[in-house]
Amino acid sequence: MRFDMGLLLEQLDGAPAPDEAAARLTAVGFNVELREPMGGSEVWDVEVTTNRPDAMNHRGLAREAAVATGCRLRPLEVDLREAGEPTAELVAVEIEAPEACRRFCSRVVRGVSWAPSPQWLQERLERCGVRPISAVVDVTNYVLLLLGQPLHAYDLERVRGRRLVARMAREGEALTTLDGARRTLESSMPVIADARGAVGLAGVMGGADTEIGPDTRDVWLEAASFEPVAVRRMARRLGMHTEASHRFERGADPELPPLAVDLAAAMIAELAGGTVCRGRIDVNPRPHAAVELEMTASGVSRFAGLEIAAATVTRILDGLGFSPLPEGDAVRCTVPSWRVDVERTADLYEEVIRQVGYDAVPSVLPVLSTAPGERSPSWRLVDRARDAAVAAGLVEVVTYSFIEPEVDDLVTGAPLDPGRPLALVNPLARTQGTMRRSLLPGLLAAVRDALNQGERDVAVFEQGRSFWADGTEPRESERLALALTGSTGSWERSEPVRFATLKGLVEEVADRVPMPAREWRRGGAPWVDEAEGALIVGGDGRVLGYAGRVSPATADRFDLRQAVYAAELDLAAAVEPEPRRFAPLPRHPAVAADVTVEHDRGLEFAELERVAAAAAGPLVERLQLVARYEGEGLPTGKVRTTLRLLYRHGERSLTQDEVNREQEELRARLADRLGVRFA
Amino acid sequence: MGVDRIDAVRTEFLRDLEAAGADPDAVERVRVAYAGRRSGVLNDLTAALRELPAEMRRDYGRALNDLKGLVEGRLEAARAAAAASRDAERRSAVDVTLPGEVRPRGAEHPVHLVRRRIESIFLRMGYSVADGPEVEDDWHNFEALNIPPDHPARDDQDTFYLDGGHLLRTHTSPVQARTMTRQQPPIRIIVPGRVYRRDSDLRHSPMFHQIEGLLVDEGVTFGHLKATLETFLRALFSDRVAVRFRPSFFPFTEPSAEVDVSCIFCGGAGCGVCSRSGWIEILGSGMVDPRVFEQVGIDPDRYTGFAFGLGLDRVAMLLYDIPDLRQMFTGDPRLTRQFA
Repeated sequence: MRFDMGLLLEQLDGAPAPDEAAARLTAVGFNVELREPMGGSEVWDVEVTTNRPDAMNHRGLAREAAVATGCRLRPLEVDLREAGEPTAELVAVEIEAPEACRRFCSRVVRGVSWAPSPQWLQERLERCGVRPISAVVDVTNYVLLLLGQPLHAYDLERVRGRRLVARMAREGEALTTLDGARRTLESSMPVIADARGAVGLAGVMGGADTEIGPDTRDVWLEAASFEPVAVRRMARRLGMHTEASHRFERGADPELPPLAVDLAAAMIAELAGGTVCRGRIDVNPRPHAAVELEMTASGVSRFAGLEIAAATVTRILDGLGFSPLPEGDAVRCTVPSWRVDVERTADLYEEVIRQVGYDAVPSVLPVLSTAPGERSPSWRLVDRARDAAVAAGLVEVVTYSFIEPEVDDLVTGAPLDPGRPLALVNPLARTQGTMRRSLLPGLLAAVRDALNQGERDVAVFEQGRSFWADGTEPRESERLALALTGSTGSWERSEPVRFATLKGLVEEVADRVPMPAREWRRGGAPWVDEAEGALIVGGDGRVLGYAGRVSPATADRFDLRQAVYAAELDLAAAVEPEPRRFAPLPRHPAVAADVTVEHDRGLEFAELERVAAAAAGPLVERLQLVARYEGEGLPTGKVRTTLRLLYRHGERSLTQDEVNREQEELRARLADRLGVRFA
Repeated sequence: MGVDRIDAVRTEFLRDLEAAGADPDAVERVRVAYAGRRSGVLNDLTAALRELPAEMRRDYGRALNDLKGLVEGRLEAARAAAAASRDAERRSAVDVTLPGEVRPRGAEHPVHLVRRRIESIFLRMGYSVADGPEVEDDWHNFEALNIPPDHPARDDQDTFYLDGGHLLRTHTSPVQARTMTRQQPPIRIIVPGRVYRRDSDLRHSPMFHQIEGLLVDEGVTFGHLKATLETFLRALFSDRVAVRFRPSFFPFTEPSAEVDVSCIFCGGAGCGVCSRSGWIEILGSGMVDPRVFEQVGIDPDRYTGFAFGLGLDRVAMLLYDIPDLRQMFTGDPRLTRQFA
């Protein structure tokens, strides 16, 4: 919020140097974030927190500065001269909605002229970011900036019936506000109305009809106090935010209107001419009841961890307007009407401690139990998955959890479709209109962008949540997705990424998460290509993920100019890692022996492996693929697969003859079970 | 004749072998000349043994054997040395300045690097890391934290709402509320995670990351809060940073403080990063407001606590000099790769 340094320091008796004032205000909770010289003064941008509407004006902030710098707040002098008719005979004010309007003060100044305000006033307004218009309008703005009381000035002639009522609007009632907008009101909205209808949105903005202008001769001033919730709801409904509504929403001082209206009337008479009518109208159905609070110096000392004397407490509370009555250790005080944020003893503690200074509180490390902390199981899981991906050579990206609805639509019916989409009611953009149900679209977009930047080799992953709606309940679940494109290897021996590259990475990651025992089966459409795609399925048939070359349709949709291989895993299916247990190292050497099987292409490796493992005797410790050949020299549709078996006896070394015999038996069984030949 | 001749041959052999050096062909020629089966000098010397008178044969024979041993040994050594030298030549034909095979290098995103660094500091101080949903309800995200409906404090956190009435959490505090409703003190947790606010510019993103902390126990004071945060900030940045606590306001803490560190770029002298103030605002904190304890079922007369929070992305931006927050979430691997 902008303040005029000159106006601020003028409120203090024995004002400190600007540097000190700024430093002290910052130290007690009003951060002076920016200081800019302007005219003969400075503009101060001060952070005033939401809970301190009383400091959103120069008097209020000056009060804080006075206590913080040890000087005094200069009393405010209003030089008001009344003459002419009694105000009460000219105009009438009524509050019909006391739940929305707490107090309504009025004065009238007759015989004003339209004139610009003096230079000093214009400069002050400009420093605070307010545009000068005319003396009358400028005075109302000035009083707001100085005291924090929003004021409104009506052209007396244009208020029909010369009567203003604070009431709730009638459903559908219309009002054109000062900004020219025509607004349709609801019965929950408080308004100020004359005989014909609404002339102002209470606490927010006045109406155009009764606005003062160059022809105005008689000014009717309103200084009122409106309830925060009603003003806030109305402002939200109408999408409005004004200097007035800002203050009423946070809580304006109900004792301020009389002083404010007097000051405004006096200033208008001085600067725009005219006479202030006799008497102030003050409708105050629920006078402010002061709140009494009590605290002890020992209590705040204990709370702060610092010895604070009762005299210090009294000095601070006195300067802040709490009228403290000390009695030994105890201090009884009255919460001033402008402090809407002070309700309990704890609030008083804060007032004392912040003025004493947080710096004064000694820093003491708490004595905690020495048991080390633990990461929650969910964090351990996602970090295991992330570490596995990084160890596998993938680069992490983080993308938004929301995505364009048309793109998220692609998830419907695809593998790992979790359920119905979860849309945002108020997204920042249409492209962020729904929560993502899969990590793949965001990742493919990232790959596309990288390719468009000229990258050829990309290997990325993201770990994050997918979201969906389960009936009316929102759900979320952790996923890991990865994508590869381009080549791997070195300048001497580079190879394009292929299905086996992807599978190797996915299996490496899945082993470390760990994902449960699984099988790879043809599938994965429409994300991945039918010819190069798989579903990863757990023992119970649950789909754990999918992997493969991105299908032509998907590649097209995401504008991918080269082959991209991608996978996504549902981490909700992850299991706990098995505790490690040592297996005794074998004492006798193994013997490796190969068998080369010639078979139809249609025989999947998993099947061959399964049969071979079952057919191999108990001496076979391990079985692995070492070669695969098809093409020249083989009939079409035939493949040669070489398996290497590792034979080992637990108690002695095997002889070559024994191994040969085992191999012969194996070949016989394979021929029998699968009808294959051997090479 | 006799042993003299053997000595002479020995001298010539050693001289010829040395002259052959490391040249394998030259060494071979020396071998043929001296130990060659048909025409080597050793053959002649052996033949000459039969011509000698009997009393000279013993000495001569011994000397000859010695010479044979010497010749064999030295030739072997020379041959081996020549072979090794030839291999070495062949090997150094590799241009060792050529790039090696590049193995894929994975990398963690800077926001996670920072998260784990901060987690590690607090784990060592005895705090546990908690987790919770990103989609929240109003009570956990606002009301439990002393932010009733229609409260202006809700303006400071523009909220995304979802179909069905839920919202995207605007801070990780709801996880603290959940923990406090499930568990009685002592509570020592930190909560990292994604949070969401309707805001987007150089320093604001609709999705970002926070990490918040909570300590609730008997006798927790503001002095404990100060020391904990000072210790943390020195461990995170450097033990030379200055730390400043300023009174502020959050609905869920009372008293509240904003915490600044001396600018890590200019050391406090004033620069563009710290808007010439010399300080960078890094944390919000405060003593937990007793109203929050009332909402979550913790006895405010028996327990006190403190809470704090900071933006993880912001710390990453400071530590790593990244200017635009939104750049962290475009999915650009080149950003992450810089931190491999």
